[in-house]
Amino acid sequence: MSQIDTTASAAAENPFAGIDQSSGNFSYDVKYDFDAGSGLNERTVDYISTVKKDAPWIREFRQNALKAFLAKPMPTHWATKDLENINFDKIRYYLSSGQKPKRTWDEVPDDIKHTFERLGIPEQERKFLAGVEAQFDSEAAYSNIKDVVSKQGVIFMNSGEALKEHPDLFRKWFGKVIPTGDNKFSALNSAVFSGGSFIYVPPGVKVSHPLQAYFRINAENFGQFERTLIIADEGAEVTYMEGCTAPKFSTSTLHSAVVELVALKGAKIQYITVQNWANNVFNLVTKRGLAHEEAEIKWIDCNIGSRLTMKYPGVVLKGRKSRGEVISIALANDGQHQDTGAKMVHGADETTSNIVAKSISVGQGRSTYRGLVHIPRHLKGCKSNTECDALLINTNSRTDTYPSITVRGSENSVQHEASVSKVSEEQILYMRQRGLTEGQAMSLSVNGFVNDLASQFPMEYSVELKRLIDLEMEGSVG
Amino acid sequence: MSSLEITNLHVSIGEKEIVKGLSLTVNSGEVHALMGPNGTGKSTLSKAIIGHPDYTITGGDVRLDGKSVLQMEPDERARAGLFLAFQYPSEIPGVTIANFIRAALQARHAEGEELDASAYYKRLYQKMDMLKIDRKFTSRAVNAGFSGGEKKRCEILQMAMIEPKFALMDETDSGLDIDALKIVSEGVNQLRGPGLGVLMITHYQRLLNYIVPDHVHVMWDGRIVRSGDKSLAVELEAKGYTWVKKELAHA
Amino acid sequence: MASPTLTSPALGSFTAETFERALGAQAGAPAWWLERKRAAYERFAALPMPQRTDESWRFSSIAGVNLDSLEPLAPAAPTARPHVPDFAPLTSLSFVNNRLHGRTALPPELAAKGVVVTTFSEALTRHGDLLKAHFMAQPQRLGSEKFAALHAAFVGDGAFIYIPRGVELDGPILVVHAASGAGASVFPHTLVVAEENSKVTVIDFFTSPANEPLFACGANDLYAGHGSKLTYAAVQNWSRKALSFQLNSTVVRRDARVQSLNIHLGGRQARHESLSQLQAPGAFSEMLALTVASDSQEFDQRTLQVHQAPNTKSDLLYKNALLETAKTIFSGLIIVDPDAQKTDAYQSNRNLVLSDGAEANSLPGLEIQANDVRCTHGATTSRVDPEQMFYLQARGITPVYARELLVFGFFEEVLNRLESEELHAALRTLLKSKLKL
Repeated sequence: MSQIDTTASAAAENPFAGIDQSSGNFSYDVKYDFDAGSGLNERTVDYISTVKKDAPWIREFRQNALKAFLAKPMPTHWATKDLENINFDKIRYYLSSGQKPKRTWDEVPDDIKHTFERLGIPEQERKFLAGVEAQFDSEAAYSNIKDVVSKQGVIFMNSGEALKEHPDLFRKWFGKVIPTGDNKFSALNSAVFSGGSFIYVPPGVKVSHPLQAYFRINAENFGQFERTLIIADEGAEVTYMEGCTAPKFSTSTLHSAVVELVALKGAKIQYITVQNWANNVFNLVTKRGLAHEEAEIKWIDCNIGSRLTMKYPGVVLKGRKSRGEVISIALANDGQHQDTGAKMVHGADETTSNIVAKSISVGQGRSTYRGLVHIPRHLKGCKSNTECDALLINTNSRTDTYPSITVRGSENSVQHEASVSKVSEEQILYMRQRGLTEGQAMSLSVNGFVNDLASQFPMEYSVELKRLIDLEMEGSVG
Repeated sequence: MSSLEITNLHVSIGEKEIVKGLSLTVNSGEVHALMGPNGTGKSTLSKAIIGHPDYTITGGDVRLDGKSVLQMEPDERARAGLFLAFQYPSEIPGVTIANFIRAALQARHAEGEELDASAYYKRLYQKMDMLKIDRKFTSRAVNAGFSGGEKKRCEILQMAMIEPKFALMDETDSGLDIDALKIVSEGVNQLRGPGLGVLMITHYQRLLNYIVPDHVHVMWDGRIVRSGDKSLAVELEAKGYTWVKKELAHA
Repeated sequence: MASPTLTSPALGSFTAETFERALGAQAGAPAWWLERKRAAYERFAALPMPQRTDESWRFSSIAGVNLDSLEPLAPAAPTARPHVPDFAPLTSLSFVNNRLHGRTALPPELAAKGVVVTTFSEALTRHGDLLKAHFMAQPQRLGSEKFAALHAAFVGDGAFIYIPRGVELDGPILVVHAASGAGASVFPHTLVVAEENSKVTVIDFFTSPANEPLFACGANDLYAGHGSKLTYAAVQNWSRKALSFQLNSTVVRRDARVQSLNIHLGGRQARHESLSQLQAPGAFSEMLALTVASDSQEFDQRTLQVHQAPNTKSDLLYKNALLETAKTIFSGLIIVDPDAQKTDAYQSNRNLVLSDGAEANSLPGLEIQANDVRCTHGATTSRVDPEQMFYLQARGITPVYARELLVFGFFEEVLNRLESEELHAALRTLLKSKLKL
């Protein structure tokens, strides 16, 4: 980990330096009833299966996934060598105080309840959410859905519960969008997954308010591996939001989720992430959606925290006229590498994909965009558009762009544009002439850079995003 | 003498009918103005006549010298003598104006019959001078990076070079300042003559001060609702399109 | 070094024994040259063949890169006079199968000013230091290290061009590299040193009889000294059965300007790597390429623009037109080193797909480590614009001809950047000869 420099000169050079990463930097000394210990082998996986009372097919699924994980090399031939710093033997793969989430906050153990209260989750739930699930290390501590929503037939529960209560529905799509062997980390997740959300929205049902999950890491040397599966049946609509935090430990923490979305004919799924892990978290996540005919999947992916994030939300456009969209915002500060992007695989005629990615690199932060657009042969009328803009704040900030575009056939049209810029000195001068400090001016300018994307977030989240950017700027103010 | 006869024409875009039974005949030597508010189907009419694939003719006919053009390809219609000065001309990067017009003229010659290059340039420069187009433009790509006025002048230049039997001019005055409008109008007036029929589509009466029409038609909701001489345009300017609407309400 | 066996797939037909024979043919060359060749062969033998998982070979048909069943030492007897483009150079050199085949005399006034246009064999004895300093002196960073080593080991004769300080040449210098004989291997090389404030245009022309299998592994080194102006054009028109590598290295010094245009027409599978290093303030490299890919041809283009100093500029525009079942790969990277502030870099790849069976791959990349820069890139893949087609048809132009005009328009944007009308016309004619729509 690089040190955060708090000297005055460094603060002038880097307006973001010396800032507390997030308000989530605290932890409680929780006593766990279930602990798989450190390191990963067949016995670890077996322990998890036993604790979770897995059905035989899940047991087998986990063991096969473990083999796939061990067999796959690290993807360092294209990805950063920082991956080699993950010590899989030191990580604790399962920690919980029980498998059954509580339906009311009063039933949640005090330390855990206090954690989520400090993060403002119960308050948000009252204000604007249709349902909330709060995961604490390996398991959900709390899970509830408002009656009006459940009466519409919407299922929203922990993945573990769903495996037992809706096994057929779960099994039909589980691992179908992202196969175990998709990459090393999807294999890892498939071996040790625990927690995450399961959502099913019946045909034609439009869930008016967002469903939310909050992921909290509390323990040191811990690995969180939630698994989320969202199915929107024909014509259904749903918005899902997730947030996350972890305390900043001196050792690294691993978060490796797999998220699968299935939008059946004419359905719409919007998936919003505001990732604010502490600076010691390796955040290696696989997210993909399958869009059937005329369906629409939109990922809004905002990465502010973590040491290294590797995440490329994707959409497989399987049905005619389906649409995929990724809106990506990344902020990389000192000691951070945001390696994010999008994947769009066109599998039918007249499918459309749109990617807009904006990144901000501060201090020695590094942001990387990786994109994949694939249009195979014999498709007609497919369109894809990508726009990548990188903002570099300091002289030594870094940004990379690595798109990959394959187009077969003459009836499609694909565009990719990328640009790199810095904050305009004239703009800063103009604002300072009007009486703003350099820090305030910088903050306004950076917010302006992401404003058109931030405005696509639900209000509460765009306010949160603005607050996080302002927070990062505070150091240079006064 | 030639004639362009439009009879009971119906045009749709997708499922939506835009032109709903329009009839109009333009003879060589005549200048007709087709006026009407936005969205009444004026541009649709012009694009349908020249065979734009997005517009479906669902009824009626368009005949050039008595022969229907509806089964002809767009380039065949053009060679038969129809010319559209587009409201929004395409930009063609990499193809110079000189090469483009030459290709258009060459297409009107029999195969193997080469255009005389020096005569071609002589004529091109003469027309460019007439339209006050800088000769440097000949080596610029067609419409690429042109201002609105330059694009319109480039359309008139093509018309002057190609010498069609009938010219449809779609909102040629839009986006022009007064000087450009004068230049374009002068150009059109010089091309007027017994060999050319013109259908001028315009929203405003302004253009008609410079190119005085023989006939004026008012289009409303896909049909021609009033026809008259140039005084109709003046009346329309004075009373506005709401007047036509009211008249229609009475009818 | 591990001693590879004779059947090693990493060697193909280029066994140690053939290398010794090739070296024997250059017995009179200086010791340092022979030493370099030996070192190069060792590198070639030690390096593995490219793998499917190599990032720098992404999307390439690895199976097509095969060094077996080749004639490593091309025969000496050229048959026909090589086909050359239709324009008048100041002077020319032509090589057939790695040997000098013909040359025209350098105008005496240029020779008097110290201009040198000669062969490697001659340069080795008279300009050894320059050759030593510039011949393949730059790093190989784009994936073909093995083939660069093979080239250095087997290179026979090549073109050596030296323009002294302050000398400006009006016309182009033409270098023809021809090959003949089925399965022949050729290693063409053109080395250009443009000293301070000089000006020169060099044209490489690669040609071989249609339908003869061929292995071409060429390289060129361009060095643009302080304030110089170097224009380089290459036309790759090998037979449709050729496997071709062409590795370019360009060094641009203070206030120098290099314009390079590569036209790719021939080959079964052709890979072109181009590296521009902008080493001092004011350096500018303009990198252009046009490809007509037809039948089942594969064109693989890898580029790197490295900004190593502040206030440098690069501008890349690669255009591909794809017909039938052809495939193109464009993989470009702009690297802005830390402290290379005020860099102005541009990279653009445009693919025009004219057939449903064709495949265009585009990997435009940026690695930026300085903040006060203007760096943009773009990639588009599309068909002929139907609105443009309609506009042309509305002027009476037939659909077939309209399409042809639009495809040429697509290329003209690149050709228009050439200063020389004559060169522009000659290249247009060449493109037309391949692009019969």
